[in-house]
Amino acid sequence: MLTTFDRRGRRPRAGRLSAGLLALALLVSACGGADAADDGPAGDPQSGGTLAIGIESDTDVLDPHRAGGWVTYRVNRQMYEALVDEDLSKTSEEAPIPEIVPGLAESWEVSEDGLTYTFHLREGVTFHDGTDFDADAVVFNVRRMSDPTFEFYDDRSAGQTVFVWQHLQSVTAVDPLTVEMTMKQPFSAFLRLLTQGGGGSTGIISPTALAEYGNDEIADHPTGTGPFRFVDRVRGQRITLERNEDYWGEKPYLDSVVFRPLPDPSTRVSALRAGEVDMIAVPSPDSVSSLEEAGFDVATSAPPHLWYLAFNMTDPIFSDIRVRQAVNYAINREGMSEDLLRGTTNPAYSVLPPANSAYEASEEYFEYDPERAKELLAEAGYADGFETTLMTSVDGSGQIVPVPMAEYIQQDLADVGIRVKLDTTEWITYLTEWAEGIPAGTGMAQMSWGMTTPYWLRNVTSSTLQAPNGSNVGHYSNPALDEVMQQAATALDEATADELWRTAAEIVHEDAALAPIVNDKAPYVLSGDVQGFVNPSEEWYDLTSVWLR
Amino acid sequence: MVGYLARRAGSMILVLLGVSVLVFLIMQLVPGDPVRTMLGPTATAESIAAVRADLGLDQPLVQQYVSYLGGLVQGDLNTSLTMAQPVAEIVFPKLGNTIILAAGALVICLVIGVPLGVLAATRQYSLFDRGAMFLSLAGASVPVYWAALVVISVFALELGWLPTSGMYDVREPGGLGDLLRHLVLPAATAAVVPTAVIARLTRSVMVEALQQDHIRMLRANGVPERQIVWKHALRNALPPIVNIVGLQVGYLLGGVIFIEVVFSWPGLGGQLYTSITSNDMPIIQAGVLFIALVFVVVNLIADIVVALLDPRTREAVG
Repeated sequence: MLTTFDRRGRRPRAGRLSAGLLALALLVSACGGADAADDGPAGDPQSGGTLAIGIESDTDVLDPHRAGGWVTYRVNRQMYEALVDEDLSKTSEEAPIPEIVPGLAESWEVSEDGLTYTFHLREGVTFHDGTDFDADAVVFNVRRMSDPTFEFYDDRSAGQTVFVWQHLQSVTAVDPLTVEMTMKQPFSAFLRLLTQGGGGSTGIISPTALAEYGNDEIADHPTGTGPFRFVDRVRGQRITLERNEDYWGEKPYLDSVVFRPLPDPSTRVSALRAGEVDMIAVPSPDSVSSLEEAGFDVATSAPPHLWYLAFNMTDPIFSDIRVRQAVNYAINREGMSEDLLRGTTNPAYSVLPPANSAYEASEEYFEYDPERAKELLAEAGYADGFETTLMTSVDGSGQIVPVPMAEYIQQDLADVGIRVKLDTTEWITYLTEWAEGIPAGTGMAQMSWGMTTPYWLRNVTSSTLQAPNGSNVGHYSNPALDEVMQQAATALDEATADELWRTAAEIVHEDAALAPIVNDKAPYVLSGDVQGFVNPSEEWYDLTSVWLR
Repeated sequence: MVGYLARRAGSMILVLLGVSVLVFLIMQLVPGDPVRTMLGPTATAESIAAVRADLGLDQPLVQQYVSYLGGLVQGDLNTSLTMAQPVAEIVFPKLGNTIILAAGALVICLVIGVPLGVLAATRQYSLFDRGAMFLSLAGASVPVYWAALVVISVFALELGWLPTSGMYDVREPGGLGDLLRHLVLPAATAAVVPTAVIARLTRSVMVEALQQDHIRMLRANGVPERQIVWKHALRNALPPIVNIVGLQVGYLLGGVIFIEVVFSWPGLGGQLYTSITSNDMPIIQAGVLFIALVFVVVNLIADIVVALLDPRTREAVG
């Protein structure tokens, strides 16, 4: 629950009484609380203990191929590993983009034509059930996600991971420790996409366990190769993992980890203050500073997250580029980040989210300039403004506080004469409506998304991916952009690809097809006992380096 | 009495059938595609169609409902769309947790609400009466969400007596003691409104009961006041109290949803909230059906108790 303020520091009129009562309750809670931390020297890492993490919602299925969403991947990632991994041991400052590092594959080669990937697998790795990890296990898993003729093919897994396997031609076990994958076309983002987990991930499941439990039941018996193994799950209460004593890599310090779903933000904060959990995800923006004052550590990062508006290109008003530019100039991104979101976000000026190889933070395309916005509107024939609708959710994964943010935009746009009506829907319904495309009569829709590859941009701007057949919900179409992105996607080396992706981003900016608003800093709040936690440039984290004092 | 019970049971089944049809139809009107949600924004139209067919969501509505009902008769509650698990495995443990919470709240309601009302009635217009009635009016008007935040900050954070949320300690899940410690705050918060309602109703029926002729006669005969109040007057005032308690159970089952959210109590209310937002039809169906079932059964029991307490009702309905 959030007490929301408008930019002048006033609470919205409606609900002022209940907001006042709430503020009282929060004040009482802010005064009390367990002492968070003794700030003595941390000392050397020590083994043992149980880390309890308060997470923002209950997770989806513990099946890495089928599961969607960041919340679930943060759990699955501790148990499952993919062929390649990202180095999550560095903060965003140390490594703005997590480096691709060996996972279950020790090394790999890509053929010169970019069509063949040869993975050399790690020797001596076993799954949590004792099954040996080998090339056949990899082939089994890939076919489960991509081959409709396979006995264990799973259409849900295929639906979730199509973004990884869309260009796959074949997968073969060359020998017990070598796997070869061939592509229908070069696919420069392939390795990076193997490490992703926002919607479906490619973690390798024990084939023995899959054969025993089947596609539906495997989620109740997670069996991977990761540093932690599954202990139990009580829906709505906890998911418990323990150290994998046979792990091939650095073994974790922690004996066990408990993920505890605490969907209400104030409950999460209370549980942290009372010491019932050691760290929490997604604190409400207005609790962060009081938690810091109480001695809790706040770890922020720059993950690939962009909260942005898409414009409806088929709308008679928004088809005019000057209107889209005007909206971009009229929004005070700094103000929103600082005043409304209390520094838990950074203002966003690039249509590419941070944490990918093509991202350039220095780009500031549409700095706040309401006068310029008014001029552009006047040029477009809207000197007296116009009326339009903005679609928004009321909550959701990565959405921060969508309604207050939409209201903030509403006020900024009102200042230049654009009268915005808000069309608010709860998250799941919103996702469906959003995926259908922005309807006639609605000018804009917001979304929060991103990946550690610039390939992400294609999802939301390619004319071939116009809704409902993709996530280009504003029906944006620019053949020149499509051409550049096709070259980028099939480029043979990363440097060429990045250059092309930057050109693509430039075109999107010139067309003002999207309005980037803010990048989330994804804060985690930790008690002083939690040591070694790194919040990397990703939407998830590694727990092997964490220890308790 | 047997005929009465048979008729009540018959109408109960009709009510439940009606509830299931209503829930089914309402969920059809709600926008949002569960499969789209399941597969995320990068899913293709083909993969969505494949999964829809897999789940039988491409069949006509009537057929979907009939096959659902057919399964229900055989005790098959279907499979959750989002969790790929049998609904019974999800719903029953959650329903059990909700019943634990509601039962805890009910005990508090009865132990506090009834005696408070009786005592207020015997001291009509006294300071105690006015104080108790003012408190219960305030109690009946408190926003539950706010009350929950206040008790958490006072009893869990400030005083540190009780845990802030959850049902068991997550680091070392314990037994009954651990459960009871976690139960106190949510149950007490859930009990606030029903306790107030029960106290106010008890007071008013007791005031009436205490003014009746036979009570005056008992007093004239020198029966001790304590016996008059707790034995004779309360006995006559019980039927409406039992009725309102039955209704309050319904309120508790439906009303604990906020409590479950704020205290992260893993109950059916919280599960329904999540399932409604993800359009998980089989869970919503089963959840609402079971809440309706418990509500109907509890009220049937209340009616039977009333009939046993008051022969006039029995004759009127029987």
